[in-house]
Amino acid sequence: MALTPDAIPHLSPPLTSSDSAADAGLAEGLAALESYKKKDPAKVVVRFKAVGNAPIMKQNFFRVTVSNRFQAVIQFLRKELGWKAGEPLFTYINLAFSPAPDDTIANLYRSFATDGHLIVNYSTTAAWG
Amino acid sequence: MSTFGGIRHSPSTFASSPASTTLFRRLVWEGTVPLEIRVDSKELPANSNRGLECYFIQAPRVSYLPLLIPEIKRFLQDVVFDDEAARLMKEEDWWFESEDGHLLKWHWPVGLIYDNHTTLATSRPAAPAASARAQAVPLRLVLHLASPPTDRLLLAPSAEACKQAFMGQLKEADFLRWGNTKRMTGLRKAEQDGMWEGIKEHNFDDYWRVASKVTPTTLPARPGSPPAAQSSMHARPPSADPQGAPDREGAYNVRSVPIRLYLPEGPVLQDLAPPVLEDGTPNTLADLLSLHLPLLFPAPGPGAGPTLAYALLQGVITPPDAELAWLGACMSGADGWVNICVGLGRDQ
Repeated sequence: MALTPDAIPHLSPPLTSSDSAADAGLAEGLAALESYKKKDPAKVVVRFKAVGNAPIMKQNFFRVTVSNRFQAVIQFLRKELGWKAGEPLFTYINLAFSPAPDDTIANLYRSFATDGHLIVNYSTTAAWG
Repeated sequence: MSTFGGIRHSPSTFASSPASTTLFRRLVWEGTVPLEIRVDSKELPANSNRGLECYFIQAPRVSYLPLLIPEIKRFLQDVVFDDEAARLMKEEDWWFESEDGHLLKWHWPVGLIYDNHTTLATSRPAAPAASARAQAVPLRLVLHLASPPTDRLLLAPSAEACKQAFMGQLKEADFLRWGNTKRMTGLRKAEQDGMWEGIKEHNFDDYWRVASKVTPTTLPARPGSPPAAQSSMHARPPSADPQGAPDREGAYNVRSVPIRLYLPEGPVLQDLAPPVLEDGTPNTLADLLSLHLPLLFPAPGPGAGPTLAYALLQGVITPPDAELAWLGACMSGADGWVNICVGLGRDQ
């Protein structure tokens, strides 16, 4: 069959329509990314437990917003303990490992919570490093 | 993507072969990314050889920025700085930014930094074609020589801090897989150090000699067999079933696959990701993505919208039916994690 001008649109759909479909997909994708960026206001219980010679806290249950990073929890703990900058403090989850400081409480809680608590151990010396 | 058709259609044949496990681990290990490193022009010491302040590296994906510093330092000392500036150089104050001003994390593997940059470009409407081009060009980094923003870097910018963070990631992965860190803590100090040395020297055999003791094996889970059948098989005494014993270390028997999803501008998502679903079928990448990111990866079904994004793992666009267990055993980084970057676009 001869290739007539009429046949061409069947071979390649008009550029404008596929472009706008791609644009719509991109816009939808960007909107999805925006909604995943929204910070979750939920709170969970973090329970601090001293290890070795570290001072014990009178109040050791805290409700923490899940969008916080683990780094914020470390800073909070240092303040509660009255730790000065430079004084060593090592923090662990479930007596097992130190999470990355930029990991969120949401992620750690989902993966490692025990009986509805995220247990954070603290020590003045490296324990499971 | 058609190149990976074999994996997409029959993951289990790959999973059953120890030779293919080693092959994929080696492919991940040998993966490299191009980096262009330029000293911030405002911070170049006087009498530097301007015009030469740019350095190109083909860096291993499994490496880390602090491990690249000795090579960059030699170059600056030998070619760019004069003797006085070279003597005063303090690499403990060095830090990196991307060209567009994103701080680069010391404790992220280089491959993850690169993939995250690639997918970030897909979320910038101004540059719709950037995703394709980003693969071919080096990632441009700006090296700063002073005043590291320690509060945002989160770690002291040193190889030692990076090593500690790396060990922490290995232990966290171990805990996710087995509910304890016995495999990691059971390693001798020399073995743990050996893994880090393996990364530093980029030596596959040195790293995997130890890593194989903590990474699950890829014996197949007999696809389609219900979990009940698997557990009754485990109940048999090992002598009656020679295949039974190594299965306890198998990729399909872990509690959860250590896996993280990186969205272009955050957040990073992590959750329990069991290798086998409740109905006994293997948990796939498509299952994981539609569970956690349904707006981008709608679950298939009547009226389901189109998929709006793709998954990039070790620089490879990963087939949706890849099984998480297999990804964990064969495609994880040296830190034990499957780091998946999500980019916008279809049929990339």
